[in-house]
Amino acid sequence: MSDAERPSAGGAASAPVGAPGPAGALGRDPVADTGAFAELRALLIGEELDQLGSIRSRLDDPEQRRREIADILPHVLIEHSADPRFTHALSPPVERAITASVKRNPGPLAEALFPVMGPAIRKAVASALAGMVEALNRTLEHSLSWRSIAWRIESWRTGKSFGEVMLLHTLAYRVEQVFLIERSSGLLLHHVTEGVSDVRDADMVSGMLTAIRDFVQDSFRVTDGESLEALKVGELSVWIEQGPRAVMAAVLRGVAPRTLRTTLQQALERIHLEFADEFEEFKGDTSAFDGARPTLEACLHTEYLPNAGPSHRTLWAAVAIIALAIAVWAGFAVRARNRWSHYVDALKAEPGIVVVSTGRRDGKFLVSGLRDPLARDPASLLEHSLLAPTDVDGHWDSYYAAGPSLALARAHQVLQPPDGVTLELKNGVLSATGIAPLSWLAEAARLAPLIPGITRLDASAAMDAAANEAIGRIERLTPLFSKGQATLAHGQDDVLRQLVTQTAELARAAAAIGRTFRVALVGHTDADGGPEANIPLSLSRAAFIKAALQPVAGERLQFEDSGVGSDDPAVRSDREAEKQQNRRVTVKVTPAASTPPASGIGR
Amino acid sequence: MISKKICMLGSFAVGKTSLVSQYVSSLFSDKYLSTVGVKVDRKSMTIDGLDVTLMLWDLYGEDGFQTVQKSYLRGASGYLLVVDGTRFQTLAAARDLQKMACGVLGSVPFVVALNKADLASEWQVDDRALIAIAEQGWPIIRTSAKTGLGVQESFERLTRAMLEPQ
Repeated sequence: MSDAERPSAGGAASAPVGAPGPAGALGRDPVADTGAFAELRALLIGEELDQLGSIRSRLDDPEQRRREIADILPHVLIEHSADPRFTHALSPPVERAITASVKRNPGPLAEALFPVMGPAIRKAVASALAGMVEALNRTLEHSLSWRSIAWRIESWRTGKSFGEVMLLHTLAYRVEQVFLIERSSGLLLHHVTEGVSDVRDADMVSGMLTAIRDFVQDSFRVTDGESLEALKVGELSVWIEQGPRAVMAAVLRGVAPRTLRTTLQQALERIHLEFADEFEEFKGDTSAFDGARPTLEACLHTEYLPNAGPSHRTLWAAVAIIALAIAVWAGFAVRARNRWSHYVDALKAEPGIVVVSTGRRDGKFLVSGLRDPLARDPASLLEHSLLAPTDVDGHWDSYYAAGPSLALARAHQVLQPPDGVTLELKNGVLSATGIAPLSWLAEAARLAPLIPGITRLDASAAMDAAANEAIGRIERLTPLFSKGQATLAHGQDDVLRQLVTQTAELARAAAAIGRTFRVALVGHTDADGGPEANIPLSLSRAAFIKAALQPVAGERLQFEDSGVGSDDPAVRSDREAEKQQNRRVTVKVTPAASTPPASGIGR
Repeated sequence: MISKKICMLGSFAVGKTSLVSQYVSSLFSDKYLSTVGVKVDRKSMTIDGLDVTLMLWDLYGEDGFQTVQKSYLRGASGYLLVVDGTRFQTLAAARDLQKMACGVLGSVPFVVALNKADLASEWQVDDRALIAIAEQGWPIIRTSAKTGLGVQESFERLTRAMLEPQ
């Protein structure tokens, strides 16, 4: 208030009270007293009263107050925006206001948020798509591998989706370093590492990383809110998360899931929340952020392939062992079955053995059937089939097999052929070859048809042999005679006896084989005397032998006796001893021209 | 531990990278300067009993500077304005750069490094120009990346200024 105004204000205050003197102040007139007091008051605190009046009028005038508050409020809000009480007080009405605004007309708010929402939605969609593409790529990568087949089996077994199983197996990464970087200066606020020995100067890395972020942002003119999110070199990646005051950079090796980014974001948000004051007051003192260490260390994830190595190896080893065991068992089973099958085949092929049934019981092979006593022992066939005798249980009933080999064996057993005789069986006919006594041949011819599988004995070859044998023996025998006599010389009775025996043998053989022989008996003399005496002598000698042989001749031997005198001497000599050799009868057996029907030994 | 970001500003070939090399041992190759446009180095020091880590952002110097690398300045607590004493025009460029940095960072401390002090025979920046600068209140230090003259002092002075409560 200026000095010029003061007298008028004072005047105004004093106007109603006039100008009372000091006496008035002491009198009993209340009006005079009041006027004096008011004057005094105007004199003493007139200026303050004016101010009070002015303030009162301002307070009483709502228009005035609205104007004043409108002037002050923005400044108050600006200057005290950090005061939490304002935030607290303003939040509910602001929220209600926004709600009411949206209810009334969502248009303006949507319009205002559009520039923010668009990029945010795009970013979310792009992030989700990137994740899907990443998963799809891996799916394709593994869709035709052995591992994927194993995973599909696991998926089927556990009921999880294939994607889940695959992700479970493929995610393997390690976050090696995490940098917390002040956003504008690039100063390193904190740094944690795990499992890396060669850490370069983190301060400089932090600075250069910030420089590169700035470089990318400047060079490609990206819009606000977008920034470098990742650097990637081979299997090493740097994932960058940006907050309002700080940037978090995670250096990781391997393939990390998208969820790691959420982890980083959450950690960064937490740091912003916990260190809001420190960020506000940051003047380069990085030790203020030492408390962020646990939050940063929580980001040092190491994700191993979950037991992929050892457990799968163990599983495969177990599977391999089981498979091997099954293969070995199957191998043995197949081998045993093959051996058994070969054994049964061998039994079936074996003469004199009829397999009726086969089977298995209590781990043993069973076989039952019929067996000829002359057939091979089934146990002896086991050796050949490599089966253990204890593995096989056989039950055999006896029977007589009519098969050729068994019939032949039985013929050998029954007929007991002498040495030099061979038996053969063909179409039921047993044939005997070799030299055999005719007595045996006759007996064999009788017994052979009684043997199962043999209809008759064909002994013609043996008989021929016997006949030839007999003929040879007969022709070697030359009985000698006494000089001038048709009687045997001394000691020749034995020769004649042999001759009779052999002739009888020949007669039997001839009868057996149904052939007729001509037995020519030629008498001889020595050269003493004339032919007129020698010819009749020689005839007599032949007749003598014929008479001796005739009784055993049978029907098949035809005798012809003749005499040639001394015309055909055995030796030509005058010595008496040698001349005796010429006094003889020679025998010559030849097949007869016609053969009468054979009576036959065989049937 | 206090960390501070410092930017090296100056025209092409004024010796920014040489000053940094003289001051620190580098991890990254200089080729980043031409490719990414920046190379970050680190220097740890103790000033008045306080451990300080300086992150030195060596920015690729060229005339079209303002167009690209403003973002590299962000968050810097101070900067070294490098002038080539043998090329007068680099002083004018430094003025432009100072304005630009001031626009991005506000009034943060900086030090003018008047470099190549070893090349006295080719010197172009005369005392009058220096006085004009000094009158603006800009701290000036003569440096030589070759001999190491003033290098340590420049960085320390800048660091002290940055550590002062503002």
